[in-house]
Formats: sequence, structure tokens, C-alpha cells
Amino acid sequence: MNTREWALLIFSILAQLAVGMMLVLMIVRTYAVRKLGEEKAAELTEMPFYIVVPIMVVAMVASLFHLGKVMHVIGAVPNLGTSWMSREVVFAVIFMILTAVFAFLQWRKIGSASLLVIIGWITAVVGLVLVYCMGMTYMLPAQPAWNSLATPVNFYLAALLLGVVGTAAALVAVYARIQKNAALDEFVKLTLQNLAITGIVLLGLEFLVLPLYLVFLSTQGTAAIHSLGSMFNVYSVVLAFRLILVFVGAGLLAAYLFRKASASGNEKMLANLAYSAFALVLLGEVLARFLFYATHYRIGI
Amino acid sequence: MAKQYAFSVNIGKCTGCKACQIACKDKNNLPEGIRWRRVFQYEGGEWINQNGQMIPSNVYAYSVSAACMHCQNPVCTQVCPAAAMTKRDDGIVLIDQDKCIGCRYCSWACPYGAPQFNEDLGVMTKCNMCADLVDMGERPACVEACPYRALDFGPIEDVQKKYGKFAAPAPLPDPNITHPSVVYVANKSTKTSGDTSGQLKNLEEL
Repeated sequence: MNTREWALLIFSILAQLAVGMMLVLMIVRTYAVRKLGEEKAAELTEMPFYIVVPIMVVAMVASLFHLGKVMHVIGAVPNLGTSWMSREVVFAVIFMILTAVFAFLQWRKIGSASLLVIIGWITAVVGLVLVYCMGMTYMLPAQPAWNSLATPVNFYLAALLLGVVGTAAALVAVYARIQKNAALDEFVKLTLQNLAITGIVLLGLEFLVLPLYLVFLSTQGTAAIHSLGSMFNVYSVVLAFRLILVFVGAGLLAAYLFRKASASGNEKMLANLAYSAFALVLLGEVLARFLFYATHYRIGI
Repeated sequence: MAKQYAFSVNIGKCTGCKACQIACKDKNNLPEGIRWRRVFQYEGGEWINQNGQMIPSNVYAYSVSAACMHCQNPVCTQVCPAAAMTKRDDGIVLIDQDKCIGCRYCSWACPYGAPQFNEDLGVMTKCNMCADLVDMGERPACVEACPYRALDFGPIEDVQKKYGKFAAPAPLPDPNITHPSVVYVANKSTKTSGDTSGQLKNLEEL
């Protein structure tokens, strides 16, 4: 993999983290308003929403590094009619702007609470469309390792998984700093518990998709076999670590988090578990994306 | 059908001398590492051991000269986010280097490896069928340079009338993906796209 593909790796992982967090945070916020009221819900979820903006901005800056002519970046838009990459760029820009608008309205307390909710949901939906465009960008007939349903499915799974663990980590960070009460304690525990369960389900799905994908690849001709070969030879260590990290490490942590969140456990321990789960899942997704970019071979010459 | 220029290559006549590749580099002043026209050496078969003596049996080797195919379904023009790749009225596919942002997306999409990244310019480059020469009524440099007259060029109807419609010699990909504007004249060794009996033997030259 060269520098330019590292740029794409960073862009795709961070953009998916941002989309996932936006979506999961909107869900958490909706429940928080219902259970805790507008004020306490804002106190708990405001900071995580602010984090989404720099994540997306860094993603966009990273994406510039894969261009030969950075100054021509505005030229990446005209071919919306046929190019999924144009669509990806446009939706990424719209998503980034919307996250910033949301954060600004939240910060300056402009507009009503319901306006903020509407913009938040629009942002999340635009994010989901962005992930779809990202997946379609790689669906090239000349690239059998990418040209399968596994690409968009894995991108969505990555976005949701990163969103779940990212939100959990952000929530415990905020939780440690705000004034607690019984209702908040109960809500945070329940939320972490639900996030952990969702994380485990998503990990299970990834565990299901990977072997199906490998079997599919084995039927797709010479270039695809070449991809498989490089996954199991040159990059077998990466593949092994990816499996260990995502499925065993992070899976166990999520299970542990679930157990701890159920009982009234040690708060600091809980926070460390949430941070570790985020770090391991992030590293696992980075390894998976590394394999994605490092083992694709074009058909033909 | 709109006008469409096409290359033709007679595999039986080609010796793999690469005069076409060098003429292309010369005419287009290509830097090291960039080859708009490349010559692929495809070899296969095996020798039979008969009483301790190796007897050649089905061993074969042939060369496939290939450049941009100026496809009738050019994936590069479709995927290019900058709309920098266009198909002229005469079918020649061109890159507008002022529009190109150097994202290399076309090089992922093209199964013929035609668009190649120029590090110095920061943009993609590829065979333009010597459009400047064609506009003056001349023929592309590679065609002119072939000492065996294995390469030819012209409107695709004329080329197909002269040489047939075969566009799928191994190791080239299935022509149904992009419908390349090219005709190959097979010899007795020529295998078809998707063949796995042979291998590319000059990888370090490509």
C-alpha cells in the first residue's frame, strides 16, 4: 500500500466513525430526552456531538492526500451523473457541513430543540447515504476483490460498530464530568448495556460476512484468487490479528462491558473498558481496511 | 454507429520487438516507468520426458501489443469524478490534464491498465492514439514504427473488414466489460481471455 491509499484508509475509517457516531448519538439523545428531560440529555450528549465535527474534518483533510493535484479538488464534483466517486465527495462535503451546522446551533443555542432534532436526523441520513456512495465507489467490475456486496455491507457494519463503541467511549467520558443523579446513573448504565449488546451483534455479523466473502472470492477468477493468496500469505498476520482483535478481543470486552454495566460496578473500570473496546474495535477496523486496500488486484493487464 | 477509430494487431506477425512501445515513448516523450503501449509476452505448455529426452510438445509463446483500447464502453470516462476523460467524435478517448485531479480512480477501473499516473505532473496520462497525427491524416507512431507491419489503424468497420472481430487474446480481459475498439489476428498459439494454461513472462518489463 502506498501513501495515497493510506490517505483513503484514514478517510474511510474516520468518515464511517463520524457517520456511525452521528446516528447512534441521535438515537441516544432521543431516548435521553424522553428519560431525563431536555436539559440533562443535552448535558450528556452535547460534547460527543462536538467530537463528530473534527473527526469528519480530519477525514476530509486526509482524503486530499490521495490526489495528485490537491488544488484541483473542487474538480472532483462534475461527474455526478455516472461517477460514484463524485457522489461520494459531494455527500462527504454535505455531511461535514451538516455536522458543523448542528454543532454550531447546539453551541449557540440557536433555534428550537425540535429544529436541532430535525437537522440531526437529516445529518445522520445523509451520513448513511455517504456510506452507501463509499461502498459503490469500490464496486468496479475490474476489481473482483471489491466488486461484491461485501464492500457496502462491511462499510455499514464498520460505521455502525465504530459508532457504537465511539459513542460508548464518549458517553463515559462525559459521564465522569457531569453532576450525577439516580435517573442519569440508570440511563447511562442501560445505554452502555444496549450499546454493548448492539456491538456484540455487529461483531457477530462481521464474523459471518468474512468467511462468506472469502468463499465468494474463490469463485471469481484469477485476480480474485490472487487477492485471496495475498491475504493468506503476505498479509496472513494482518488477517489473523484482525480476526483476533475484532472477534475475540473486542467481543470479550463487549461482553465484559455488558456484565459490568448490568451490575452497579466500578465506574472507573467501566470507563476503561469502554475506551479499550473503542481502541480495539478501531484497530480491528483499520486492519480490515488495510487488507481491503492492500489485497485488491485488477483483472486483465 | 458513430465514427470509431481502432487499432489492430496481428499476433502471428508480431515478434515482440517492442518497436511500437519505444516509438510511443519517443513520440509522446514519456518518462521512465510510463508505457502507454506495452507488449505482453504470454507463454505456456510443457515438455514431455520421453526415455530421458525432453521433447517439446505443446509449448507456445506469443506477444500481445496493447495500448488504450479507446473502448466503446469506456469505464474510465464514467468513473472519472472530474469528467476529465472524454470520448471524441471519432472515438478517441482523451484525458484533459487541466481537469484531472490525479485521484487514480480510472487506473482502478480500467482492465487494460491504460491510464497511468505521472508523478511529476500529478495527473493521469494515457495513449491518445496520437490524436495530433490522426488529425493531420497520419497514423499513430506505434503503427508507423512496426517493422513487421503487425499493427494497423483505421475506422473500426474497415479494420474489422480486414482483420475480423477477435478482441480477446489472453492475457487481455474479457472484452464484454468495456467493448474495446481493437482487433487481434490470432495465430495458432493464441489463447482466449480467461485462459489459465499460460503465464505472463515479462512482468518486469510491464
